[in-house]
Amino acid sequence: MDKRRYFLKKIANAVLTLLLVASFNFFLFRILPGDPARLLLPRNKMNKDQYDKQRKLFSLDKPKWQQFIYYWRDMAEGHFGFSFAEKRPVTQVIGERVMPTVMLVGFGTIIATVVGMIMGVFAGWRRNGVYDVVSTNMGMVMYAMPTFWFGLLCIMLFSTKLRWFPARGMTEAGSNVHGLALVKSVAWHITLPVFTFAIEYIGEYQLIMRSSLTGVVKEDFVLTARAKGLSDNAVLWKHTVPNAMLPTVTLVMMNLGFIMSGAILTETVFSWPGLGLLSYTSMQSLDYPVMQGVFLLASVAVIVANLLADFSYYYLDPRVKA
Amino acid sequence: MSPRGPGVPRRFRNWIFFWTPVSWLALEMITYPKDRPITSGFGHIIGGFIAPTVANYPAVMTGAIAICLTAVGAVGALRNAKQRRSYSTLLVMAILFWVWTLVTGDLSQFSLRGQHTTVGWLFQTIAILLAAVVAWLWAAGSPERVELTVWNTRQMWKLFRGNWQGMAGLYILLFFAAVALFAPFLADHAKLDPNSYVGKPFSPPAAGFYMWLGTDRMGQSVLAEFIWSARISLVVGLLATVISTILGAGIGIIAGFYGGWIGEIWMRITDAFLVIPWLPLAMVIASIWGKNFWMIILIIGLTSWPGTARVVRSDVLRVRELQFVERAKAIGSSNSHIMNKHIMPNVFPLIFANTILVVAIAILSETTLSFLGLGDPFNFSWGTMLQYCWDSGASGLWWWLLPPGIAIVLVVVAFTFMGTAFDEILDPKLRKREESGGDNRFAKSPDVAIPVGPMGAVVITDGLDTGHPTFGHSDDKGDPQ
Repeated sequence: MDKRRYFLKKIANAVLTLLLVASFNFFLFRILPGDPARLLLPRNKMNKDQYDKQRKLFSLDKPKWQQFIYYWRDMAEGHFGFSFAEKRPVTQVIGERVMPTVMLVGFGTIIATVVGMIMGVFAGWRRNGVYDVVSTNMGMVMYAMPTFWFGLLCIMLFSTKLRWFPARGMTEAGSNVHGLALVKSVAWHITLPVFTFAIEYIGEYQLIMRSSLTGVVKEDFVLTARAKGLSDNAVLWKHTVPNAMLPTVTLVMMNLGFIMSGAILTETVFSWPGLGLLSYTSMQSLDYPVMQGVFLLASVAVIVANLLADFSYYYLDPRVKA
Repeated sequence: MSPRGPGVPRRFRNWIFFWTPVSWLALEMITYPKDRPITSGFGHIIGGFIAPTVANYPAVMTGAIAICLTAVGAVGALRNAKQRRSYSTLLVMAILFWVWTLVTGDLSQFSLRGQHTTVGWLFQTIAILLAAVVAWLWAAGSPERVELTVWNTRQMWKLFRGNWQGMAGLYILLFFAAVALFAPFLADHAKLDPNSYVGKPFSPPAAGFYMWLGTDRMGQSVLAEFIWSARISLVVGLLATVISTILGAGIGIIAGFYGGWIGEIWMRITDAFLVIPWLPLAMVIASIWGKNFWMIILIIGLTSWPGTARVVRSDVLRVRELQFVERAKAIGSSNSHIMNKHIMPNVFPLIFANTILVVAIAILSETTLSFLGLGDPFNFSWGTMLQYCWDSGASGLWWWLLPPGIAIVLVVVAFTFMGTAFDEILDPKLRKREESGGDNRFAKSPDVAIPVGPMGAVVITDGLDTGHPTFGHSDDKGDPQ
């Protein structure tokens, strides 16, 4: 397929999905049982006057289709409503939470990808060997482990018992440090969350890498490489691994989209002030505008990540070009 | 093959004796697990299965079963001449469930959430007896079908037995299923009452059954909570999987079979659901709809089907190109007939293997939602236990933190093991052919769809329209492309 057509098709698909998801977001908060005006107002502060004002403000007295148009207009203008809990625009509330999540997820993903892939490569190369059986079953256990439970175990062991790492937050509460000291403090605090986050994905990447490698090992070109008399290392790292990387890379890219939802549990357990913790606290305080914003952002992240995965596929997999 | 004719095959007779108590146990387990005053003593052990409070299903559930039974029974009785007797019995069963719904819902002020505790066990007993009669009539109507089912199950079991991972998974699962099933006999439900305590708060494990795993922040027995949690965790996982599989398999088959713009629309919807991050979505829905047992099941079921749909669709795309589908089309079979009798049996192995994996995911999802405080506040599940442990703020309580987590890991790993085991058994490419023995029918033609189904699944395609049973499709060797 020619390049422009492939890219345009993927972009068109992404835009279509985006429209679908954004419409779904509208209906999710309005069609579900419950009066949106009531949902959008804090529970205890309600009187008839305010209620009517609220209905007018959100154009809830207008018919549904008109509301739908307003919804799109507001989104195009970048209005996502006001947070009840913090009395600030949702964009602002979400904006300052992005950085911590990106940090946590970035480090976590890098560690998980590298460790998981290497573990998977060795497991798939000597299939059914001792190392394979041990590491694959370990991978399965890691995959089966609830993230938050592992996080709680880490807290129990490393911060309560051994007192090596702090259990919560991004910096010491109330501290006011700058420069190198700040970096040190954050690094101190991020260790356990990153470790927990990485463990969740190591198992997954390892299993994918292993199964993809087992398929590639049987291919003819590996046999050819062996017949040429190349060393085991050369066959593995130069001929087999690059070919087996494709599914893993795709999976990593697609998972990047789910980072935010994946970080909810880790951030909640460690009180890491990112988007995940925001969605948890906004759920607890029934802060619907924030929930709506976070939900939309999470969906957009997945769509963009899928698009990137498709793009990378074009360059990584020559078969797509043909 | 067994003697043909109206008699019930002897092997199947044993089968009924096996399945009737098993279905009883299953019903017992699915029972909405509250209000179960079982104390101790042998009489109560017997009474556990027929105690008046056992069958207190909400009217929603009996009503749903009644609707399904009516629909299946009516359609079957009208369309399937051979099996008219068993379908008529199904209709009788439907009437029973309608009456049950009305009684449960209290005729004077009908409410869907009502539960009837005293007569429920009577209805349950009659329902199981009727189910046995249906099975019996079905077996008498087509003994060859039963023979094939039994035979297929045996072959599956032979292959499964050789897979150590699958067997390990099965044993783990049997253990936890037993804990869940026999919870009333293992631990007193009254110990879960907030007012009952067995020791000081936060006391570590000690002697005495209820103190084996120490106490929680209210001095309640962690062991009792653990045992009763097994029920909720497993039942939520299983029921959510039912919803997810029906949705996923149905949409996958329709999208794959029709193709064209119908398939394209369904796949767009699937893709949209696939990109919606399920956890935020579940959090939103749960906080709007409220938190209870059935909502959690619904939410997990409604958010976990797209994966199944994609997998099933890709397999349907393969199966619909096979020759027997073309043949069925040529002789004028309807689309729904082809989907039910030709496509469905052939993608069933895949659906089955996938279902087991979905159970693992559903159980993990339930744990996650419960941990975030979205679980049913009136029932304990492993996730709820972990949430309480976390909420209590005290860390270092290993006796409270470890058991639920280890149980979750074991159950999820067990389901994953079994899922991969079935994948290997059912996928001819993965299975090492030289290992599977000479008398193995499955090993003969790897390119042909394998119509095996576990435990009473639809395993053969109906031979009505071709004049001969198309079981096995062994004459469809080779790749049609």
